Amino acid sequence: MRDLLASPGTGLPSLPLSARLKEMADYLAAPGAARLTEEQRALALGIARRLVADVAARLDAAIDPATLWLDWIEGGLPGAERLAAPCFARAEEHRWREQSALRAAPPRIPSPEETAGADEADGMPAVDAPMTDIDRGYLALQIADRRRTDALGNPCIAVADLDADLFRALLLDIAAWRLVELGKAGAEAARLGDAVRAALAAQAGEAGIDAAAARWHRALEAEGALAEAAAATIARHDWPALIALAAAAHRRRYGEMALTLLTAETAALPSLLAPLRVDRMALAPLEASLTLLPGRTISGGGAADEDYAALLAARAERVAPPPDGEA
Amino acid sequence: MSARIVRGRIDRAGTLVSADAPLLRLQQRAGAGLEKPLALPHLARLVALAQRLQRDISRPLHAADDHSDVHALVRIIPDADGASLEISDWRTRPVAQPQAPPHGTPPAAAGGWSWECDARLRLIALRAGVEAPPPPAGWEGRSLSELFELQPDGDGHFAVLRALARQAPFEAQSARIDAAGGRAATTLSGDPLFDAAGGFTGFRGVAMPADSRREDASGRSLADPAFGSLPLSDPQFGRRIDGALRGPLSRIIATAETISGQFDGPIRADYARYAGDIAHAGRHLLGLVDDLADLQNIERPGFKAARDEIDLGDLARRAVGLLGMKAEEKGIRIDAPRTDDQAPAYGEFRRVLQVLLNLLGNAIRYSPENSLIWIRVDREDDRATVTVADQGQGISVDQQAVVFEKFERLGRTDSGGSGLGLYIARRLARAMDGDLVVDSAPGQGARFTLSLPARD
Repeated sequence: MRDLLASPGTGLPSLPLSARLKEMADYLAAPGAARLTEEQRALALGIARRLVADVAARLDAAIDPATLWLDWIEGGLPGAERLAAPCFARAEEHRWREQSALRAAPPRIPSPEETAGADEADGMPAVDAPMTDIDRGYLALQIADRRRTDALGNPCIAVADLDADLFRALLLDIAAWRLVELGKAGAEAARLGDAVRAALAAQAGEAGIDAAAARWHRALEAEGALAEAAAATIARHDWPALIALAAAAHRRRYGEMALTLLTAETAALPSLLAPLRVDRMALAPLEASLTLLPGRTISGGGAADEDYAALLAARAERVAPPPDGEA
Repeated sequence: MSARIVRGRIDRAGTLVSADAPLLRLQQRAGAGLEKPLALPHLARLVALAQRLQRDISRPLHAADDHSDVHALVRIIPDADGASLEISDWRTRPVAQPQAPPHGTPPAAAGGWSWECDARLRLIALRAGVEAPPPPAGWEGRSLSELFELQPDGDGHFAVLRALARQAPFEAQSARIDAAGGRAATTLSGDPLFDAAGGFTGFRGVAMPADSRREDASGRSLADPAFGSLPLSDPQFGRRIDGALRGPLSRIIATAETISGQFDGPIRADYARYAGDIAHAGRHLLGLVDDLADLQNIERPGFKAARDEIDLGDLARRAVGLLGMKAEEKGIRIDAPRTDDQAPAYGEFRRVLQVLLNLLGNAIRYSPENSLIWIRVDREDDRATVTVADQGQGISVDQQAVVFEKFERLGRTDSGGSGLGLYIARRLARAMDGDLVVDSAPGQGARFTLSLPARD
């Protein structure tokens, strides 16, 4: 792409111009496709910023995340293409959950008769009340899910949920930036190298949302309660729980499944959720909720650049007159 | 204040034949479009009414799509081929659903923690503000009561348990916790969470060091002696009840008006009258909900009205336009300011109009039939004023002392009002650096004067 954007003799275009031209090229490649909204851009950028800050904190507490981010924003995020999918998936999931919460039915408010004399009547829920494996699994899933927002409720990606390759790449990029910032190599490089290895080892030992999803899914399967639980998550609009079950059933990562569900054609939902054995009718709230999400990206259709020749060939075959004698 | 007018055109068959963008968008979100029947029920009824009466009408317009409420003023000018619409003061506000992220809940302040627990009070989130000590390790899944060691209040009660039983917000729950710096006193507050099926799923709230409790609570507490222990003193409950009542009431009113107006064909006269009574009662209840919502809003600490550049003469004429028909029904003539009578002032357009509608509505309600109401605008030094005077029974000096009190109806028991209108009107006037005063004597009518900072 870049060689197309640089005119002979003029050198490479500046970053802003290059970004604009790339955007224009993307637009020309698919003028009929809906563009990102400002909300989608802002959400994804915020998620990326929080992720970079979290990873930087794990690498070296002395790194100023604001300086790092400012540098990266000015120069462009290294590994932007790697970050795009997880940030977009998390942003879209957040939009979906927010929208779903806004449309939810008003809560049932207990009547005075129901609450009369109920003040503290039941007392404090017992701390040591026994929990089933299913309860424990769901609790762990909720905890893992809540780690995916910051203290102000903004969406983020928990480091424990990051793909190990992406985490490693981010650590190395930040370490390289830190070395340049400090202006010295040698001992500092060795220290940062150790820090990268330590951070990778620590992350490998953390149980993120994928592990929690798998655990809950196993518990439900063992009790034969999977279909019922999946239907309940849909009825309650508990979308993270549904994504988690679907991801575990397909043995895929949570983020991938979130993106798959969020961009699925409505007609594809039954087959996508078939492993959960949810009744077709129970899918209605899910279909409705996804349909109502403004600016939703529907996957499918369109051909990538490299497929263009194949597309033309296929089209030519369809319109070409049959060879003589075959009519 | 934007004086932009949104225009539209309806043909004789009730089809929207042209519309400015905001109106067209609303029509489209209602599932229709241009060259389609007007799909906004309230507006369609007003158009039908104007066409039937063959005269201009001006009314407040309420519409809603799936994510916002729309409030505006509409003027409908019928003619032989249909009707023209002029919509002004178009305002939208997001539909506040109780399940929405609780915007009123303060996020973890710098020195505090934000937390979330499930319906059995097991912690599923605990995060520290930027200046707060880190949460203790191993908090995940532990009971709120275990981690925070809740303390009973003076009566031996636990605010969090009462809230759990009522599925209601709570605050000022004292607790102690082992933090990095040692054992610390802290104060918990939280809001209930519900899923889409309306089921209670837990609480979300903040834990603040005990010495910052007063500062934290100031933004949340709205306890009002006039409400006593009613949950209406709680802003979260207020928002919830507001959202829960407004929609059903609007539907009741709209349906009752449709029946009463016999828009879909003639029905027995007594049935139409009953439907009219239902609509009337519904409007009264909706007015009460509006008043309570206003009350909560204006009594919020830090409430401040906008400082628009307004003209009291223009606003007075708008108020007359909105309530003129109601006055005509009683044979009351309103002597409004002339078009060239101006009183430039500073104040929030919508709020000033609200005050004037309240004053004029009261004057119409309590004036005898076939009487006269005057509205005058003036300027006194740095104050612009508008006075609404009627020929009603007047207000004694004793009554004048209490007429601006909350829930004061001067002994009236009819269904005309909530007793909050004048209280709210004066609070609004004062929030705009103005005032609202009354001058009256029994048998000589009443004169209410709204004064605001004048502008040159």
